Amino acid sequence: MKFRSKIIDVGCLNHFTRVVNTVSKLTKSCVLRLTRDHVYFVLSGKISTGGVSMWCELLQVNFFDEYQMEGVSADANEIFLEVTPENLSRALKTAQNAKSVKMKLTKKNCPCLTLAAELPSLSSVSRVVTHDIPVDVIPRRLWHDFREPQMPDFDVSIYLPPLKTMKSVVDRMKNLSNYLVMEANLKGDMNLKIETDLVSVTTHFKDLGNPPWGDDGSQTVSQSRDDDLMAEVRVDIRKLQQFLTGQQVNPSKAMCNIVHKRILHLIFLHEDVSLQYFIPAVV
Amino acid sequence: MKFVIEGNGVKVFGKAVHALSRIGDEMWLDPLEKGLAVRSVNSSQSAYGCFVFTPLFFQQYILQSDVQQCWKAAKCKLNMKCVLPLFRCVAWRERGVDKCEISINIPNNRVMFRFHCRHGITKTYNLGYQECEALQAVFPSHLCPNVLTAQPKLLSDIVVHFPVSQEEVTLSVSSAKMSLKTFCDEGTRIKGMNTELSLHPDEFDYFQVGVDSAVTFCLKELRGFLNFAESHGLPVSWQFGVAGQPVAFSVEDMMLEANVVLSTLMDQNQEGSLSAPGGDGVENTTTAVADFSFGPAEAEDADIVGIADGERVASSQNSEVFSPALHVSKMIQFNRAEETQPRSSSTTPVTPASSQCFKIRSLLFGAVFSDGGGSITGDLPTLVCASDTEEDGGVDDGLG
Repeated sequence: MKFRSKIIDVGCLNHFTRVVNTVSKLTKSCVLRLTRDHVYFVLSGKISTGGVSMWCELLQVNFFDEYQMEGVSADANEIFLEVTPENLSRALKTAQNAKSVKMKLTKKNCPCLTLAAELPSLSSVSRVVTHDIPVDVIPRRLWHDFREPQMPDFDVSIYLPPLKTMKSVVDRMKNLSNYLVMEANLKGDMNLKIETDLVSVTTHFKDLGNPPWGDDGSQTVSQSRDDDLMAEVRVDIRKLQQFLTGQQVNPSKAMCNIVHKRILHLIFLHEDVSLQYFIPAVV
Repeated sequence: MKFVIEGNGVKVFGKAVHALSRIGDEMWLDPLEKGLAVRSVNSSQSAYGCFVFTPLFFQQYILQSDVQQCWKAAKCKLNMKCVLPLFRCVAWRERGVDKCEISINIPNNRVMFRFHCRHGITKTYNLGYQECEALQAVFPSHLCPNVLTAQPKLLSDIVVHFPVSQEEVTLSVSSAKMSLKTFCDEGTRIKGMNTELSLHPDEFDYFQVGVDSAVTFCLKELRGFLNFAESHGLPVSWQFGVAGQPVAFSVEDMMLEANVVLSTLMDQNQEGSLSAPGGDGVENTTTAVADFSFGPAEAEDADIVGIADGERVASSQNSEVFSPALHVSKMIQFNRAEETQPRSSSTTPVTPASSQCFKIRSLLFGAVFSDGGGSITGDLPTLVCASDTEEDGGVDDGLG
C-alpha cells in the first residue's frame, strides 16, 4: 500500500483545507478512502453517531498536483483509512501559506498519514513542518460498510433556501425544541416546523425550485405525485444544525431529498466536491 | 514606597502580569534598588517567570518614602486571581488609563493599585498580600553552551504549529539546524499527532551551539511570555545546555528585563545512575549539576533576610519539602560529602501532578539571601529551598 501526493497551488490548498474543516465539524472520526481518481471522506451510519451518515467525494485531480496511489492489491486498488479529521484540519491550518504540502502514508510507530509542509522562511532554506497523524488501516473485509450510499427512493426533492437564512432559522428553533419537522412539496414549497407544549413555530419558504431528476435518478414516482402533497420528516434539530454550521464551502447547488417519515438526505454540490449527509427520521 | 507607571507602561505591565498568570497562581512583588521585580512560579516548580522593571520604566520610583517603613521588608506574595482582573480589559487599558500608582503598605499587609483614568475617575484596589521570601531561580545563563537569539515573530510562528494542548516539546540543536518536535514518551505511546518543525540557523539573529543537545520542556508556560515578547517587539534569547539542565528564555531592553526558566526532562540514561545511591551515581549528579551553580542572588546585591536575620538555614536536612524518599537518600549522600557546607543540594526529579510518567527535574530556587554571594561556586550545587515562610520548611511551595 502506497500513497504519495502533493499540493502546490495555494487555492487548491485552501479549498482542500475548507473541505477537511467541514468534515471535521461533522464527525470526530471518519474513513478516508483513496482511489485512483477520487478521495472520499465517509461516515457510515451507526447508532453511536445517531444514525447519521456522510459521503464526501473529491475529484483528486482538481486538488493535487501529484498523486500516486497503490492500493491493497491489484484488483482492489483502494486504500481505506480510519482517521480523525480534526487532526488533519489542525495540520493544514498552519500550512496555509506553504509553498507545498505533501501528504503520504508512512509507518512510524503505527501507520500514519504524514503531512509535510514547506513554509516560507527568512533564510534560503525553507522551514519544514511535519505532522504525523496516526491512522488505522481498515481491512478489506470491512470495506462493504463504507460503500457509496444508494440514492434513496425519495418522495420529494427540493432546492434548499439560502444557507445563511436556513441556518439562522434553525439556530433559533433549536432554543425551543429538540426536534424539527421539515416538509416540502414538488411545487417548491418548504416548511420548517417545531412544536412544543407551549408554542409552535413554522417558517415558510416558497418558490425554491425542484431539481429535475430525470432518467438517471431512480424516480418514476414524480409524475404521479400530487404537486401540493407535502413529504415530511422529523429529525433531531442538533444534527441539522451541526451540518449547517459546519459548512465552510459555499456550494453551487444545495438540495435535499425527503423520504416521507424516513430520511432527510442533504446534498451539497460544488465544482470539485460533493457532500451528502443522511439524517434519519425520529419518531 | 510608591511606583507610578504612566499610560503606555500600564499596558506593558498588564501584559507582563498576563504572561506570568500563564505560569503560576501567585505573584511575588519585590521592590529592589535596581527595579521592581514581579515573579511567578508554577505549582510543580518546573517553571519560573520574572519581570524586572527598572526605574526608567516608571514615572516615579520611590523606594523609601517613610523612615519607618523599610522597603527591604516588603516581600509580597499576591494571589494571581486578584491581580489579573485589574489588568484584564485591554480596551479599557488603552484608552482610559492615564497612570497607575502602586504602593505597598507594610503594616497593613496591603498592596494598593490606584488607576487614574480619564474624566477624573480614580479606581483604587487594595489587595492583601502574604509576606514571604522572594523566590528566585538563579540560573547562570552565561554558562550555557547553547545560545540562540531570534525575533519574537519567529518564535510565535514556530510555536503556532503545536496544538495548545500539547505540553511537552523537545528542542534539538546541532550546528546545522534546530528542530522542535512534540515529545513522545517511549513507554506510553499516546495516539496523538506528532509534529516536527526544522529551522536553518540562518533564521536566527544569533546561533551558538556549543554542544549538540536535545532538551524537553513544557511549552504551555512559555506561550504567555512569547506573547509579551511579540507585543513588545524585543528579540528573545534562549539559553540551554544538555537534557536535564534548565532552559531559559529572556528579553531585555533599557526599561525591563524578563526571563522565563523552565526545567527540562532528564536524560533517561542518566536517570538510572542517579537512582542508585552511592558513589558513582552521586558523583555523576554532582558533575552534571555543577555546570550551573544555584546560589543566591548573584543579581541581587543587598537583599534580605533569611528566616532568622542573616542566618543560613540548613534547609535540605530539615526541610519537609521533598517528599520522595529518593531525594532524601540522595541528600544524605550529599550532606555527608559536604559537611562543612550549610547547604547542599541534589537534583530533584519531580513527578508533576499531570503526568506520572515524566520525571522533570525541578528548578532549584534560591531564597534571596544577604550573604556574600560568592561562597557557593561551581563545584558544589546548593540546595536552596523555596520560600520558607513563617512555618518551618515552607511546605506550601514544596515539591511533589
